[in-house]
Amino acid sequence: MCGKCMGTFLGWSVKRPSNLTKLLLLTCASVGLMALDAGHDRSIKAVRGWTGAVTYPAERLAALPLSAWTILTQALRSNEALRRENARLVDRDAILQAKVARLAALKAEFAHLNLLLKGFSIPGYRVTIARILDASSGPFTQRLILDEGRNGSVYVGQAVIDGHGVLGQVVAVHRDTSQVMLVTDPDSGVPVISTRDGLRAIVFGAGSNNPLKVPYLTGTADIHPGDVLVTSGLGGIFPAGYPVARVTQVSSNPNLAFLKVRAIPLSRLDYHTHVLLLWPRKPTPIGGPAR
Amino acid sequence: MNDALTFRQRAVVWATFASAILLTLAPLPNVLAILRPNWVALVLAYWYMAIPDRAGIGGAWVLGLFLDTIYGSLLGEQALAKAVLAFLILRFAHRLRVFPRWQQAMAVGVSVAVSDMVVLMIKSLVHGVHPIFSDTAPMVANAIVWPFLFVVLREVRRRAKIS
Repeated sequence: MCGKCMGTFLGWSVKRPSNLTKLLLLTCASVGLMALDAGHDRSIKAVRGWTGAVTYPAERLAALPLSAWTILTQALRSNEALRRENARLVDRDAILQAKVARLAALKAEFAHLNLLLKGFSIPGYRVTIARILDASSGPFTQRLILDEGRNGSVYVGQAVIDGHGVLGQVVAVHRDTSQVMLVTDPDSGVPVISTRDGLRAIVFGAGSNNPLKVPYLTGTADIHPGDVLVTSGLGGIFPAGYPVARVTQVSSNPNLAFLKVRAIPLSRLDYHTHVLLLWPRKPTPIGGPAR
Repeated sequence: MNDALTFRQRAVVWATFASAILLTLAPLPNVLAILRPNWVALVLAYWYMAIPDRAGIGGAWVLGLFLDTIYGSLLGEQALAKAVLAFLILRFAHRLRVFPRWQQAMAVGVSVAVSDMVVLMIKSLVHGVHPIFSDTAPMVANAIVWPFLFVVLREVRRRAKIS
């Protein structure tokens, strides 16, 4: 037996694969996996949801030194500093007491608004407020983490809006949290219709610092800067008529088949701490596990 | 042929990778985060250079797959990058070991950069977003960090008697 032989198979001696062979095989495997993943294969998505259970504790563990440092610096402060702080806080207490009086009024107003929201209805949809826990933003991902999850009956593909327009859709649901893909995410696409003339289009995200893209419009399409695009309701995810974006730039290049159209999102993606989740009252016609 | 590693020695190797992953996940201010070295790739480079007979490309691929689930990147993206890195390091392992430290840092830096380029290429292919200049910052950080990381990991390897 030679050193390179692994054994025999049906009388053929089988060689140990070289590193180059292994690399080529694994490259094929990687490309296959990526194709499945990019194609939103359901079994791969299931694996993702499951691994979240492992990665969340790992992230918390990684953040531990930072929080430990914060606690330590809090604990090791001198008596003098504490006295000074105490005096300052007593002063502030008086001011705050005065402000608390106003708070009662605000509380009542808040309760009232909350009530309004419960009564507030989009025909065919039920609405709930969710809080934003975390926002991750990079050239390749534009995601929000919300404090509603599987326990709150959130589902993948659910529409998320704010007072100004469409924010995005839910892409992953965990036990008590869910992940929202914003309309600026490169993977996001929202079917829209122009309010001026009813032109149908799809708005795609292009990353954090780039405006939204509206591709596949031919030179004859009637679209101009300033046009407001609202959801068309096609595709069954977003309710119809919600503002998505305003066209900022339309340029045509005779060498290209399509117009280059850019738009800015109308929802205030970077401003809110609360967003609205929508549930359709009856099953949507296309896809989506409706309630 | 070498004897198989004991459970304790294996645990030491796994622990170095776990620390590298934690260092990668640890929150940093934005300015520093740009300069964050690719810890996992460097640790991988060290072990594949130090004990090439025990390390295989398949192992690196599986590690990459695990990283993909942690980073939330496209499944197979990091896997491919780590397999490429493992291949490059294994190819030059014996030469790398006799290089002077700074030359070693350059060679490892370039290998890791090549594997990072793979990731950048995949990202720009899939998402259609082009890499920006600051993406090259970690590649410089890798070469700078390498001599120090090398000394630390060599000490770990000697204490654990892994060869």
